[in-house]
Amino acid sequence: MKNIENIYLPQPARIIRVIAENSQIKTFELAFIDPDIHKTFTYNPGQFMMVSVPHCGEAPISISSTPTRPGSIQLSVRKAGLLTNAMHSLTTGAQIGLRGPYGKPFPLETLKGRDLLFIAGGIGLAPLRSVINYCLDSGDYGRITILYGSRAPSDIAFSQDIAIWQKTADTECLLTVDKAEPGWQGPVGVVTTLMPKLTPDLNRSSALICGPSLMIRFVLSELTRMGFADGDILTTLERHMKCGIGICRHCHMDKTLVCADGPVFSLAQLKTLQGTELLS
Amino acid sequence: MNDRYILKKDHLPGLLRRLQKEYRLVAPIKNSHGDTLFQVVEAIDSARLDLDSQPQASLKPFLFPQQETLFTYAQPDATSYNFTATSSDSPTLFFGIRSCDLSAVLYMDVIFSRKGRDPYYYQKRHDAVLINLCCNAPFANCFCNATKTGPFLEYGFDLQLTDLADRYLVEIGRARGGEIINRFRHFFDLAEDKDCKAQYQAFLEARSQFKQQVHVDQAIKRLKTGPLADEIWSDLSRRCQDCGGCAYICPTCTCFTITDQQLTPTSGERLRSWDACTFGGFTRMAGGHNPVDTRRHAVKTRFLHKLLYDVNEHGRPSCVGCGRCVGICFGGVDIIRFINKACTGADRISRRKTD
Repeated sequence: MKNIENIYLPQPARIIRVIAENSQIKTFELAFIDPDIHKTFTYNPGQFMMVSVPHCGEAPISISSTPTRPGSIQLSVRKAGLLTNAMHSLTTGAQIGLRGPYGKPFPLETLKGRDLLFIAGGIGLAPLRSVINYCLDSGDYGRITILYGSRAPSDIAFSQDIAIWQKTADTECLLTVDKAEPGWQGPVGVVTTLMPKLTPDLNRSSALICGPSLMIRFVLSELTRMGFADGDILTTLERHMKCGIGICRHCHMDKTLVCADGPVFSLAQLKTLQGTELLS
Repeated sequence: MNDRYILKKDHLPGLLRRLQKEYRLVAPIKNSHGDTLFQVVEAIDSARLDLDSQPQASLKPFLFPQQETLFTYAQPDATSYNFTATSSDSPTLFFGIRSCDLSAVLYMDVIFSRKGRDPYYYQKRHDAVLINLCCNAPFANCFCNATKTGPFLEYGFDLQLTDLADRYLVEIGRARGGEIINRFRHFFDLAEDKDCKAQYQAFLEARSQFKQQVHVDQAIKRLKTGPLADEIWSDLSRRCQDCGGCAYICPTCTCFTITDQQLTPTSGERLRSWDACTFGGFTRMAGGHNPVDTRRHAVKTRFLHKLLYDVNEHGRPSCVGCGRCVGICFGGVDIIRFINKACTGADRISRRKTD
């Protein structure tokens, strides 16, 4: 096409492994078919891909793997609509289409040396898992604290990662569930109920959060109450997207487009926006 | 490129006939229903070229079609999935564009080159020749004087024509326009001083005839100072009928959606279609959550995008003052009404087309 790179054309990728995280979430490990792309593709934690599934169009899915472990890319997908349901029926060997990576990642350079507090709910752990494993692999960060809320013990996703995080030095990973099930020994309550126990050193701490918008809203206000500065609170947002590159405008949020200006935003940035549902 | 030429009106059909041999010719044509629309001209002599009315739609559908195929896909077996980009279109010459619509093309040029060049837009745009026709008198709902996108343009066109009764004054805007003059020089005469003076006179007269007094600058100034009262948005949004007509008819509304159209069990095509941020489902996510309260804010993004976000990003509003949304909105929630509300807070219905 007249030497203009086609920004809408996906690249085929093969599913090389499927991990069932819970009844609603599967992690798909993928490898690009094109050997050059497979070799050179890279991304940063917090970015997302536009995923094509035959006859289903495209949907934005955040990358849940870390670029420190090259060779494949992982996307963790919750069954939510047409495309994600179709994707859940795919097995090893099947192909999907990928465009990306898109979006502004977490500012991992400026976070170097800092203690990081991760707060996630449900599938919201997917993009943070990318950051957590990146930080653990690089060793350039301080203490890592992970608070993870799920609806019920059987909904806890990424249990393989959680088991490793709970055994890692200078890393703490606390779980809570909204509703207990037989055999659950841990705390019961929304994720904010884990926050009063925290004693962060505010001068060297940043918080990274992702989850349902209602959870984000309560966590933002609790972090502010604890004394976190607006610039030290980072969240990543989910929106309906069609192009992923700042043209179609489906992901508009006041003056910003979540796909191109985000999906990672600091609370300081969110406070410059009018009428977001995230601020109470 | 200060050369100015004269094209006698008698010579226009001959010139268009020659141009049509090299380009797909698109011009405002009155159809059998009496509607004037930009259309591909098949035969110059039988087509009813209408240079006296405002075309009811802009050039947008030619550069950014209401629906276009981005590529086809195939899934020949369970383990493969491949994509083949489509390509089409011959070089098009657009004749008789109005200044508002040409300004809208310049805006689309920016939007479709945001993150790498949009190949589908630029394939059509790259080969396009734009011949502007100045408006000697504004149409009923026009306010391009307030958006600074007309009635005459200073740049952006390949050629610009000004109607001087029996002849057109022709200005060259870009090299491609000059090439057309050189190739078809026998249709053109050099303009004289009196022709240029007549054009300036026509410009002054056109500027003085606007019926709509729309305070675009004042509205922008107001929006920059901070949020409007939420009641303004909910009042306007309540009148929005969710039809998308404003966005579809708007020469600068470029929101789109992307969907798959299954053609056979193992193949299909990916389509890009116009969308509208005023639609209730525009921001709704899989699973049903909608981060925008579209009942209260249906029209908010559209107006703020044109009059605030684009001003901050590009230095000028993206409303080109064509007035088409004034004619099309049956809820009366057009941009003039919004601008009046933003300026005064008053619920004053914009003057409607009377003819």
